[in-house]
This record gives sequence, structure tokens and C-alpha cells, in this order.
Amino acid sequence: MSEEILLDVRHLTHVFPLTKKIAVKAVDDVSFQLRRGEIFGLVGESGSGKSTAARCVMNIYRPYGGSILYKGIDTCDPRAFRANRRMLQTTRQLIFQDSNSSLNQRMTVCDIISEPLKLQKITPPRGSLRAEAEFQMYYVGLDAGCLDKYPAELSGGQRQRVAIARALAMEPELLVADEPVASLDVSIQAQIVNLFKHLQQEHGFSFLFIAHDLAMVEFLCDRVGVMYRGRLVETAPTAELFAHPRHPYTQALLSAIPVPDPRRERNRRLLEFHGESLSLAGALAEVSPQHFVLQEEA
Amino acid sequence: MKRNRMVYYGEKILVFILSVFLLSLAVFYVSRLAPGDPLVSYYGDRVEKMSPQERAWAEDRLGLNAPIHVQYARWLRDAFQGDFGISYKYKMDVVEVISGRIGNTLLLGGTGFLLIFALSLLLGVLCAWYEDRPLDRIVCKIGTAVSCIPEFWLALVFILLFAVSLGWLPSSGAYSVGKSGDWGDRLHHLILPLSIVVINHLWYYAYMVRNRILEEVRADYVLLAKSKGLTKKRIMFRHCLRSAIPSYLSIMAVSVPHVLGGTYIVEAVFSYPGLGTLSYESARYKDYNLLMLLCILSGVLVILCSMAAQIINERIDPRVRGQEETSEVTKL
Amino acid sequence: MSNRFEVVGIRPLPEQPVQKEKWYRGKPLFSAALLALIVLGCLGCRLLITVDPTYMDLSRCSVPPSRQFLFGTDTMGRDIFSMIWYGGRLSLFIGLAATAISTAIAILFGAASGCAPNWLDALLMRLTEILLSIPGLLLIVLLQAILGRANVLSISLVIGVTGWTGMAKIIRTEVRQIRSSEYVLASRCMGGGFFHILWRHLTPNFVSSIMFMVVMNVRTAIAAESTLSFMGIGLPLEVVTWGSMLSLSEKALLSRAWWIILIPGLFLVVTLLCITSLGNYLRKTVNRKQSNL
Repeated sequence: MSEEILLDVRHLTHVFPLTKKIAVKAVDDVSFQLRRGEIFGLVGESGSGKSTAARCVMNIYRPYGGSILYKGIDTCDPRAFRANRRMLQTTRQLIFQDSNSSLNQRMTVCDIISEPLKLQKITPPRGSLRAEAEFQMYYVGLDAGCLDKYPAELSGGQRQRVAIARALAMEPELLVADEPVASLDVSIQAQIVNLFKHLQQEHGFSFLFIAHDLAMVEFLCDRVGVMYRGRLVETAPTAELFAHPRHPYTQALLSAIPVPDPRRERNRRLLEFHGESLSLAGALAEVSPQHFVLQEEA
Repeated sequence: MKRNRMVYYGEKILVFILSVFLLSLAVFYVSRLAPGDPLVSYYGDRVEKMSPQERAWAEDRLGLNAPIHVQYARWLRDAFQGDFGISYKYKMDVVEVISGRIGNTLLLGGTGFLLIFALSLLLGVLCAWYEDRPLDRIVCKIGTAVSCIPEFWLALVFILLFAVSLGWLPSSGAYSVGKSGDWGDRLHHLILPLSIVVINHLWYYAYMVRNRILEEVRADYVLLAKSKGLTKKRIMFRHCLRSAIPSYLSIMAVSVPHVLGGTYIVEAVFSYPGLGTLSYESARYKDYNLLMLLCILSGVLVILCSMAAQIINERIDPRVRGQEETSEVTKL
Repeated sequence: MSNRFEVVGIRPLPEQPVQKEKWYRGKPLFSAALLALIVLGCLGCRLLITVDPTYMDLSRCSVPPSRQFLFGTDTMGRDIFSMIWYGGRLSLFIGLAATAISTAIAILFGAASGCAPNWLDALLMRLTEILLSIPGLLLIVLLQAILGRANVLSISLVIGVTGWTGMAKIIRTEVRQIRSSEYVLASRCMGGGFFHILWRHLTPNFVSSIMFMVVMNVRTAIAAESTLSFMGIGLPLEVVTWGSMLSLSEKALLSRAWWIILIPGLFLVVTLLCITSLGNYLRKTVNRKQSNL
């Protein structure tokens, strides 16, 4: 892991208008940084704005406020985006939660994996597009026999592997995964997370991993950010966060992790957490090295 | 709440006015861009012998020499005062020309529409009641077959059969010569065109009713009603039919133009003096003022109907608010 | 490298016994065969028929069906049997051409409207509604007047241009559903442009839902051509189609020449029926497939 900052999200805010008067603040003043080769986990309950943040990073939504710097380029600026379109589209890749809807049901696996190569008119390094697709399949642990199958004929784990292969075909520098394992069985989840870890070690890409499963995050990520109701309430290196959670929401969240030991599980105490009384005003303050917590300004 | 409703209807009225305006603009421009000489319909063959001065004078008299947008502005100004100009062919006020014919079309189209409505509801319920039994199958088969027959050919076959071979019914016109006030005679003339209009459209709508009811029958609330011990008849009429009718109403509202178009063709085959023959003539002979008023009349009718359908749909299902009505049928 | 992590989810499935079913069950074989016969007859008319369909023998007007003239002659003394096949060729061609035109317009318009921002979408849909509110017949008459004297191509164009609105609305609704799905998002993230997404992602997904409409459009177009020609605003008498053959029927009614009306009409109706039953079959199979997904 180098010290070079690949992705810098500054005061990102996104608002969805519901009617002309009411709007939902999905992401509210969120800032975090991602270094080259780092795995950053973003956790939080559903509706806390993780996916919205990821989609803003991938330019699917145009943020309402704040800026997102990728390699020093402000991707929210349409002119800067257009000037670097090709670079941005090739080096950043996205993996969705539901592989069922993120793969076109009417394309074969081979077509799906080679689609980005075709789009960007990249000459496949391994000769033909088909050979390239076959290689990527092999790489994520799929048989070449699946090449001519349709997504509907594959299992959920296989489909997610296809989605990963599609993303990896572009040799990305930043991979954003929006709850990539949430729709899978637990056993398959473990395999996919293992796969992610291996791939990351081999490729060295930066990885923004979004999840609501804390155990998964603890296993995979270098650093973790906790989101709650659109705010980033705490961010710290994984070990530090799991050892010394500071924010009440993080503490409550961690206390909810089941322990795989019946005797200790019996003694586990669930912290009570009242979201209504919690103030989300203030800014992130560094309480120990690399450990930031949302605090009201003194 | 009341203010909201005002805004809602205000919006609808605004859209309506805008649509009619755009429609009139489109028809005005398109009809005038088309090649052909409107003077022919006014002066007949004399046009060919006219000197240029006479021509210019004639064009000036009918207001045809100004640029198109000036002509349109003039037409719009007069139309607001209730003056839609004169028909070149009939040489009288277009409103008079139309009012002489509109009764016939309303009689044919209106009765036809009501009959289609009532009969298709009846047939649809019957088919749904006897689902997949011989009656249902026969009706569906006949329906597909008849819906394939072009209206004009069906009309021809009927004329051949009932008027020419059997001689039971008259083959053309709305009344016999000199009997324009005789209602019995008019009805006698109406039977053939009316039966063509009804037979041609009935099946499609009956099929629609049948499918809507069958959809309802498969809903869960029917099971509940059944478990409460209601009779089949009661469930069918009190529950299924009642929830199927609003969407059927909206479909019927959208289909007014199709029935209208069908009426026009039938009118042409039977040389029935209605708006259909009139609009066909006016388009062929460049009778601009007549054409405008006819297009606007039918356009207003169609827009009103589609709005009615929209309002019904919004009443049934608040989610569609702001979406468009999708009609499934596109027939000539 | 493959041994680094284990591969899961690839297990050869045991061959399942295929249910034996008669292959022709539920398929519209009769209609397909009949349609094929008509189409082949029309295509091969040059080989089969030696009588010139446009040759007018005024000494033999309105001859009833006989050995020499299988289907009789019309009021202008032309042989109806050969006219049927020659005319059918044109009628079918007009049906297909008009459908191709209207489908192309519908796909472009529907997809554009479906992908457009809400206000533009509302505007486009309002426009189609206004277009729909002009009675179809009037619209066709107006367009015909603009294009001038009718020929086969202009009439296909007119029918195609007036017949796309229904399909465009369906496509728009489908596109609205598909466009927010994640594979379209993914494709856009990877740099797919409008036409790439339209061609690779949208079209394959809505094609099944408009297939029925396309087939029905062929039917409507053929019927429309015959109606127009019958009313005298379509093709002139010299151009032989099923519709223009029927435009003689007013005279035929006077002379009670039933064959002039019935025979071309029967061919027309049978063709339309076959197309409809094929279309219905298509709709059923498509629906079955979708519900299984």
C-alpha cells in the first residue's frame, strides 16, 4: 500500500427530491480518502447512504454538493469528466449487489465479459475477445464451459463471479463493489470474499467495499468507515475500530455481532441505541492516529 | 385539498387548449402544403379558363394569397368569433354544412358505440362465466376471425347478401328519396351500416372484458369471498365485474377514435351522408375551411376521450398519475 | 494459479429425461402451411401463370368462373386468377415494407422517449397523442396529397408513418423499466453510448414484447392498403393489388358479379387470419418464456 491518495471524497452531499417540497438527504457531508492499493470498507444499515455514495463516486449520480477527486481530477465537473472520459471509464469499475439484474439476461457470458473491451475498443491482450473472456473466467474460478451460457443458467455465485470477471477485464485501478455478497448464500459469500482478497493481492487495485456485514469487513478491509443516516460517523483502521469503537452508533453496531462461541455468546450484551436522540451535527475529529469520530464542535 | 383539485383540473384544461391549438396549427399547415388547387372546388372547371387577373382576384376573395401564417392568424381570429369560413364546394357556412350531416354520423356512431359497449360487456361476462367451455371457445374463435376481416369487405359481402341477393335491405344512403322525415325508413337504412360497425368492433372489446374478468377471478380476494360462502354469481357480479368495469371504461374511452374511424369507412361504402364522406371529400377537394373544422371536431372528441380515460385511470390507481394512458389498439 | 482457490458451483447436472410431447401440439401448423402456400404462390407467380394480369379483354368483361378463367374476369376483362397472385405479391410487400418503416420509427421514438428526461418524455408523448387524435384516414389522405400520386413505395411509407404510435408507447414503457436496471447502468459506466445501449441491451429485452405487435402490424398494413385502394385514395386500378381489385366492386355490385368481390376478399381475409393466428401463437410462447424467468 502506497501513500498516494487515489480517491479523495470531499464533503459529498446528495439529495433526492421526493416532491417539490420534500427531499431526502441520502448522503450528508461525507469525506474519506482511499489510498492506492487499499481496501476501504463502508458499513452501515440499509438506507444509510452507502450505495448512493458509491454511485456518486462512479458518476452515476451527479452529487448535489462536494467534490470527488480521482487521481486529482474532479470527476463531478462535466468538462473535466469529458476530457478524461476514457481513462475514467476504463480504470474505475463497479460491481453491483444483485448479479441477477446487473447482467443482461439476453447476452451470453462471453459477450458480457467482453462488452467493456469492445466498448473501449481495446485490443485483447490474449488474441481474441473470446480467449480474453476465457482467461478472465478462469481467473475468477469459472469453467470455460460457461462461456456460451446465459446468466439465467448460472447459480448466484457463478453470476457474481461473471460480474467480477467483467470488471477485472479492464484491469481497473479502482474497484467499487456495492454490497457484492449481500444476495448470496453464506458459504458462497465466504468464497467470494476470499476471491476478492486474492484478486486484490495479485492486482493491487484499490477497493471500495460496501457491506452491512461487519465480520466480512473485518476480514477483508484495511480501513473502515461507518455510515449512519447519511453521515460518516467514524472511520479508522480495521483493528483500531473493532478494538476501540468511539461513536455510540459504532459501539451499538459492534455489540450486535454474534460470537461463534455459545458460552460467550450468552454473555454478550446488546447495547441499546436510540437513533432519535443522537445528534449528527459537528465534524470528524481525530481522536487517535488515523481514527476519526464525528463529534460536536466544542 | 380543494385548491389542489382546482390546480389539477386547471392543468388538464390548459393541456386540452394547447392540444387543440397545436392540432389546428398542424392541420392548417399540412393541408396547405399539399399540392392541389382549392379554387377548383369553388369554381369547378372554370378555373382552367381563368385569366391571371381573374385568378388573383378569386384568390384574394377567398383569402388564399396571403402567406400561410397570416392566413392562419386570420382563421384563428374568425374562429374565436364563431366564424369558421365558408365551404368552397358547398358555398355555404361550414357550420351549416356540418350540422346538416352530423346527426347522421352521431346516429350511426353513437348507437354503434352504445351497442358495442353493452353487447361486449354481456359477451365478455358470458365467456368468463363459461371459461374454456364450448361457448367461450366458439366466441373467441369467431372473434379472431371477424376481427381480421376489413370493414369495407364485410360491408360489401353484407350488401351482396342482404341487399342484392335477398333484397331485404337498402344498400346505400340514409333515407329513400323524399322520405327524409320518415323515421321508419331511416332505421331501415341504418340496419346494415350499424350491424357492420357493431360486428366489426364487438369481438375485440368482448375479449378484453373476458380477460379483465378472468384476471380478477384469479385474484386472492375472490378466494376470501368464496371462503366466506358467497355464491359464484354474487362474487362475479358484485366483486369481479365491479372492479373490472373502471379499467374497461377507460379502454372504451380510448377506443372512441377507432370506432369513429370505422364509422367513416362504413359511411363511405354505404354512401351514407355523414361526416366520414364529408371529411374524405373535403380533403380530396382542398375544401380547407371544412377540413379544418372536421379535423378539430374529431380531434376535440378524441382528446376529450383520452382525458376521460386518464382521469378514470387515476381514480382507479393513484400511481398512474402523471403517466400516460397506453392504448393497445392501433387500427385505421 | 487455478488451485489457489477452489471452484464452486460447477457440477455437471444429470441428464433429465425429456418429456415426450408431440412436437406439433399447440402450434398453428395449418395457418403456417396455408400462409406459406399463399406466399409461395405469390412469389412464384411468374413461373405459374402465363396470362398477363394487366391485359384487358373488353369483349369478355365480368365472365363468371369457368374453365378458361378459373376465378372469372373483372369488369375490365382481366383474368382474376392471375391478378390474385400478382396482386398478392404487392399486397404482401406493402405490408412488410410498411411494418418495417413503422417498427423502425417506433423503436427510435420509443427508446428516445423512454431514455429522455421526464419533461421531454411528456412532451413527446403529448405529440404522439395529438398525432393519434387526427383520424387515421384523414392523416393518410393528407399525407397522400403531399406525396403526390400514389405508388407502391409511397403508400407503404404513408401506412408506416401513420401506424407506429401504439408500438412506440409500448416500447417507451418497456424502456422506462429497463433503463434503470443495473446492467444498463453498468454499461453506461463502462462507456456505452445511446445506440450501443439501445442495440445491445434495450432491443433484445423489449423485442419479445413487441414481436406480437410487429406481426399484427403486417396485418393492419395489408388491411389498410386494401381499404385505401378500395376507397380510391390508395393505388390506382392499373397497379394490381388485392385492394385495388376490390375497388371495382361498386360496379360489380350492380352487375351482381359476386366473384369479383368474394374471391380477392377471401384471399385477403385468409391471409390476414393466418398472420393473426401466427401472431397469437407468438404472443403465447413469449409470455410463457417470460413468466419462467
